This record gives sequence, structure tokens and C-alpha cells, in this order.
Amino acid sequence: MDSDLKQNIRGATPETWLVPLVILIFCGFTYWLTTEFARMPPILKRGIQPSDFPQLLIALMVGLTALIVWKDPIRVSERIQNPTLKAFGIIGVFVLLVQLDFFFALAVSCLGLTLLWKKRDWYTFLIVGFFVPIGVFFLFDQVFEVRFPRGFLTNLWYG
Amino acid sequence: MDSLVTGLLALADPSLVVLLIAATLGGVIIGALPGLNATTGAALLLPFTITMEPVAAIAVLTAIYCSATFAGAITAILINTPGTSASATTCLDGFPLAQKGEAGRALGLAVVASTIGGVCSVIVLMLAAPLLARAAYSFAPPEYFALTLFGLSMLATIGGGSPIKNILAGCLGILVSTIGIDLMTGVERFTFDMSVLSDGIGFVPVMIGVFGISEMLVQISNSQERLERIKLKAIKLPSRADYIKVWKTILRSTGIGTFIGILPAEGATVASMIGYNEARRWSKTPEEFGKGAIEGIAGSEAANNSATGGAMVPTLALGIPGSPTAAVILAGLMVHGLRPGPTMFTEQSDFAFSIFWSMMFVNLLFLGVGLYGAKIFARVTLVPVQILWPCVFIFSIVGAYALDQSMMDVWVALGSGVLGYFMRRYGFSVVPLAIGLILGEILEQRFGQSMVMLKEQWWLLPTRPLTLFFLVLTFLALFGKPIWNRIKQLRA
Repeated sequence: MDSDLKQNIRGATPETWLVPLVILIFCGFTYWLTTEFARMPPILKRGIQPSDFPQLLIALMVGLTALIVWKDPIRVSERIQNPTLKAFGIIGVFVLLVQLDFFFALAVSCLGLTLLWKKRDWYTFLIVGFFVPIGVFFLFDQVFEVRFPRGFLTNLWYG
Repeated sequence: MDSLVTGLLALADPSLVVLLIAATLGGVIIGALPGLNATTGAALLLPFTITMEPVAAIAVLTAIYCSATFAGAITAILINTPGTSASATTCLDGFPLAQKGEAGRALGLAVVASTIGGVCSVIVLMLAAPLLARAAYSFAPPEYFALTLFGLSMLATIGGGSPIKNILAGCLGILVSTIGIDLMTGVERFTFDMSVLSDGIGFVPVMIGVFGISEMLVQISNSQERLERIKLKAIKLPSRADYIKVWKTILRSTGIGTFIGILPAEGATVASMIGYNEARRWSKTPEEFGKGAIEGIAGSEAANNSATGGAMVPTLALGIPGSPTAAVILAGLMVHGLRPGPTMFTEQSDFAFSIFWSMMFVNLLFLGVGLYGAKIFARVTLVPVQILWPCVFIFSIVGAYALDQSMMDVWVALGSGVLGYFMRRYGFSVVPLAIGLILGEILEQRFGQSMVMLKEQWWLLPTRPLTLFFLVLTFLALFGKPIWNRIKQLRA
């Protein structure tokens, strides 16, 4: 066995295998998708078939993933920190709340993010949860004429 | 010559001048805030420029690019935290000099070196970009394909990260660019029968995600860090003795920075590292480096600012971004329906020169802003992160939505932000992903056109001299270093 590979196996963490595996699964799935693309008759194909270029890229990505395992393995010693996990949770909450109201979702998410930095002053909450979303809403609505998705708060303005 | 004058006359428009002043001040604030850099700032502000005239929009983005690159030095010198990665080497001598009570002198030197570097690089841009565009005018699809491939191969070394991971990230970006209707054949690819995906994934939401949201996720992990601040009494212009000591360093670094900037994908960060190292190598007192050497500050700052003008050369003349921020500017050009490349200097040369003069104006403007406003701008580092990053989140989401008023863009920005966070965590740079996304469509089109031209005989590509030249450069960019290392190993 190659000495680089032996050394990589010795110092491996779960991510060393997990990340390349995820990439390979992604490549396998996208390759399967490319086989579903419509094929052009020779007279219309203009050089290459629509699936050729993506397949070429996927093959290259598979090769590079193998190279990563062999030559440049992924080694992450520290776990994802708690605040970052909570931030993912906040993004999830945003995705759910957006169904109710876009700006309500933004305000709640921003308050959550402020809490992640361990800030609990009422004026920070007021700035981040109220003034900034309102200011951004009117800036985009009035200056850039952007119309936001309707919700129980934006309906107050749009009528 | 006419375009040179017409471009200058664009600055006679008071509204453009006001916009440039505002963008320069905004850029200085962005650059001075640790965590935010020129690329993030330009990506976040790109949606604001959609409703502007093309000249104003691109001038604003370039103003942010130039001024944010300079302003990274403010925090580098005063709190030992580079406002942008391009100012990382400025910390090495800027902060020790500030600790000695000479923060004003350090900032003064940084301002002057940045201005000289910036102005010289814009002059090079004005001269080189039209020449390069004229040379590229005769390029056929195979040459363009090989050139774009070369531009992408330069991603291998971007950010000093792993070349293999960088190329993989670039490939992912190109793969994402194939989503939507294939322009050559009209076939839908990776659309899952969703009409919103027919036009493909917009590069602006992806950039907002990978540069803005992922940076916020990274910053949350660093929320416990405490910074040491140095008080700035007054900023000082360098003395005559200082000028005598550093003028050669400034000129050398300006040359290095401009050249590095012209290379596709290599930006201000690489330029400042090389500029700093060369300043130390040529110095008569290299032992002073790291302890507050003024040549170190001048070498780093002249190089990183001169890279901004250099980076715009391939961006405008060839449509290949010269740096990550130039990639955002390229996205801005495309959003406004402008196609950078040789035709820009024949059909829209007035526009191109307006941008050049705007950059010149901004470089001179931040001399004043830096000298008289640094004390005020240093205070932006006091903005609580608890307010700053939630604001970045709001602007990222609203900015992504505002572009096409589509929730799909919001999901793309959020998804790209999470993807960007994990890519960074596992050592993949997000810059190749963004540049791959921008260049992917061009690469595939040129490849397809080349195949038509060469009757599907791809092996004929290297028979064309210029194509061969770019393919050799691509090979060297990808394999030159490993081959050279192997040769050295064998010799030893």
C-alpha cells in the first residue's frame, strides 16, 4: 500500500471517510440524473450531447475525491460548536416562519442570532428585532420598489 | 482617446460623484469591520445596484472593492485583526508599530502606500486592458475555451488552500452552472420539472450565501474571542526619512501587486503576501520585520491595493475574474446585461473608461478619507457583533430576494451559506465555487462551439498555437509545482 495512504488511514477521523463518501454519493446521484437527459439526434446535437459536459465534470470530481483520500485527507479535530448548531436551528426556524410572514421570520431569526452572541440588552433586541427589519423593509419597498411576499405583517402595509 | 475623455466626463455627473463618495465611505466601513471584506461587501451590496445605471452600479462595486481593500489596514494596525485577508501581512508590522505608540505613523504609511499602489495599477489598467482586449479580439472558441480553462486552473492555488480541494470546489461550481436549459440544445438539465430552475441558479444568491451567510456561521464560532485595541491619537503623513526608506518598496510592491492581480483568480491576498516577503528579502534591515518595520507595512499595502486595478484587467478585457471580488463585479456586469470581453472596448469603451476613471477617483478619495477619517473609521470596530451579524443576515436574505423577487433565490442563498460553511470547515475554499459558477456557462459554450468547429475531434485543440499556449499554461498551473517538487526530491 502507498505510504501516504497508510499514513492517512492511521490519522483518520470519521470525516476523513464521510466527506468523500458524501461527495461520491452526490456524484453517483447526479450522474444518474444526467442519464435521464434528452438526447439530441446527430444533426441537432451541435458538437456535444447535453449530458456530455456534466458527465465529464462528474468523472473529474470522482477522480479528485479519490485524490483527496489519497493525498490530502480531511482532518477535523474539533466538533461543530454549539452556537453554530443553534444557528442552523435558527435558519430552520426562519424557513418555517417564512410561511407566516417574511419580515416576522427575519425579525425572529435576528433576535435568535443576537442571543447566540450572549447579548440580552433590551435596546439590542429593539434595534435588531424591530428597527433594522422595519428600516430594511421600507428601504427596499420605497427606494428599490421591491414587493415582498404577503404575510400577516406585510399585509398591514400592502392592505 | 475619445473614450478616455468621455469616460472622464462621466465624473462630471454630480450624482455619480456623490454615489462614489458614499460607496468609498461604505467600503472603508466594510473593510474596517473584522469579518467583512471587499468580496462579502460587494456581494451584499450587489442587489442595491440593480436599479442603478450600469456605469453607476459597476463604479459603486469597484469603489467598494478599492476602499475595502485599503481599509482592512485600519483594524490590522489598531486591533491586530485584519479587516480583510489582504491585510493579514499588515498586522505583522503595523500592530507592533502601533504598540510602540506610532499607530498614526503606521496608518499614514498604509494610506500613502495604498494610494500609490492603487493609482499606478489603474494607470496600468487603462493601458493594458484595451491592448489585451485587442489581442483577444482574434480569439476563436478553442482559444477562449483554453483561456477559460487556464483561468479556472489558477483557482488551484487560490487562498493558499489545498489545490485538489480547490479544483473540486471549482468543478462543483461549474456543475451548478449547468442547471437549467442548455443554451446549445434547449434540453432541460437538473430542473426536476421546476420552472423556476429553467433559467438556472443565479450566481448572485450563491455569492451572497457563500460569502455572506457562511461567514456569519463561521463568525458565530469565534464569538468568544477578545480583542486588544490601541487608541489612535492622530494620523500622520510619513516623514521625509520614511519616504526615503520605503519608496523603492512601494514601487516594487506596486509592480508585484499589479502583475499578481492580472493573473486570473489571484487577488490582493496573494499579492500582499508576496509584496511583504519581497520587502523583507530586499530590506537592509530584515531583522526589524515583525517588530514594526515600516517597509513591511508599505510592502503589504502597496501590493494589495495595486492588485485591485490589476484584477480588473482580465475581468473587463477577457471576462475572466482576476480576483474573488472581481468575480462579484463580473456578476454585476452580467446582471446589467453587459458581457465583458474584447467587444467591451469596441462597443462600450466609454463605459469601460468611466469605470477606470471612477477607480482612479476612489483611489485618490481614500487618501483623504484615510488621512482625515481613519480616527473615526477606527471606531466602527466598536460596532457590536451582536448587531452587525444579524444585520448581515437580514441584508443577505432581503438582497437575495430583491434580485428577482423570488423566494427560490432566498433558499439558494441559505443553502449556499450552509454549504459554504461545511466547505470551509473541511478545508474547501468557497471562492472556486463562485468563480466556477460564473465561468461554467462560458466554458461549456466555448467547448461546444470548439467541438462544432473541429468536427468533434477534440484532439485537434492543441494544433492551434494559441490554444496550445493556454493549455500548456493550464498544465503548468495545475502540475508545475508537484513536478518541480518531484524534480527537487530526485536531485536531493
